[in-house]
Amino acid sequence: MNPKRLLIAADASENAKRAASYVGEIIGPRQGFNVTILYVIRYPERDLFPDDASWQIKRDEEDQRADNVLADLKEVLKSRGIPSSSIDTEARRATGFSIAQTILEYQKKNDFGTIVVGRRGVSKAEEFLFGSVSNKIVHYAKDCAVWVVE
Amino acid sequence: MSKQVKELVRRLRPSLSLAEYGRLFTDTTAYMEISYGDVIEIDNHHYLVLRDEVERSFGIEDPKYWVKRCILLETGERRILKLVFHEKFMLKLGALEIPCYRSPEKEARILDLVRGDLRFMQGYSRFDKKGNVVRIIEIISGKRLDHAVFEIETNHRDYFYNHLPGILKKFMDSCRAIKFLHDHGEIHGDIRRDHLWIEHGTGRYRWIDFDYAYEFEENPFGLDIFGLGSLLIYLVGKQIFTMSNLESQGFSKEVAASISEEDFSLLYKNRIVNLKKLYPYIPKRLNLVLMHFSNKAEVFYETVDEFLQDLEPCIDEINPNYALQTPGGDNSFE
Repeated sequence: MNPKRLLIAADASENAKRAASYVGEIIGPRQGFNVTILYVIRYPERDLFPDDASWQIKRDEEDQRADNVLADLKEVLKSRGIPSSSIDTEARRATGFSIAQTILEYQKKNDFGTIVVGRRGVSKAEEFLFGSVSNKIVHYAKDCAVWVVE
Repeated sequence: MSKQVKELVRRLRPSLSLAEYGRLFTDTTAYMEISYGDVIEIDNHHYLVLRDEVERSFGIEDPKYWVKRCILLETGERRILKLVFHEKFMLKLGALEIPCYRSPEKEARILDLVRGDLRFMQGYSRFDKKGNVVRIIEIISGKRLDHAVFEIETNHRDYFYNHLPGILKKFMDSCRAIKFLHDHGEIHGDIRRDHLWIEHGTGRYRWIDFDYAYEFEENPFGLDIFGLGSLLIYLVGKQIFTMSNLESQGFSKEVAASISEEDFSLLYKNRIVNLKKLYPYIPKRLNLVLMHFSNKAEVFYETVDEFLQDLEPCIDEINPNYALQTPGGDNSFE
């Protein structure tokens, strides 16, 4: 693993902004680091929509949301002094049921030494019913550090 | 129009006599307008509508206008027709509210997936003339599992040792049926006590109603697994226990006083999950499975497999002689 390569697992929440701010504060203008912001897109299931047209509208919105979040978080990092050339952004579709799994696959494939993820803080009942991306990352990550920013 | 229906009924099912003859529908979009005496024509089959289905909850009947109980005129068989009704509503699960979507397409897909698998209700879907996906469901003759269990006339101890092992064996097969859905990327979506039925004659447990869909979450199977857990808690207890019914069920004030916050359901705050405090003969291992669904839980089941791995060894522990006494499992309901 490369400790100077950091992966921020982003979503549209305030927690992701906090995670980016934290990374910005830690790294700042130091040379030799690379920060990648990854937004995993999960389109809603077709079952939730009465027709293909309304489903497509929602998927387009999701794509747009990913682009917006990535642009916003890049600005957060730049505002803390990280040079633009050291920041990459990536939007990709979830490969299966789990966003966490997609993030971990990406981390492994691209040799990131640190995963940074925001946590929204869910109740036990919510975690049982819906799961938690950050908890799964903490649980299943291997050969890397995980920073959980609350 | 009513003449047309009268002629159809006379030709196809002359033994039927109706109070009134309605209209023939080939487009089911306006399902509210379709009622008793009307005939729905789908794929060259004719379904005479008898009534709307109703859902009974807390003594209140809630009509489901998009679900029609029918007779297939060509054969005389009874069928349920589920017509297209898309809705989004907030499903209340204890203190949580979850956006829920009714999806005819999802149910049609699952009916295809489970064709011939009698752990599920059977049926198929066809398009009406307007392209609405109509689900044509075979009626299960039987009763709700929870009602059947509640009505077993014996005390809890006898139920626990002599009935529950067989019931749990069948229940585990129902859980494997849910795993089958999950393995194929589907969820049941509405695992409740009134959606698992026992078929008369065979004693087979069968799941019904698969049309609920949800926004995808990190753990897509959590809702189904929680539903299985709640069912298990009911089966082990033979009923639901709350603080308000303990006394009427003969439990002492000391037992009631021993119930603490962590003994209740993670979701339904008034339901007691720690049944060992009520029935100390419940083995620790089985009670631990129940406690995964309590406020005390720190680790949650993410897959049906994990749940079953914990549950399976509990059955023999309850009554190791059970299989010898009743080969083939529990036959109470056949």
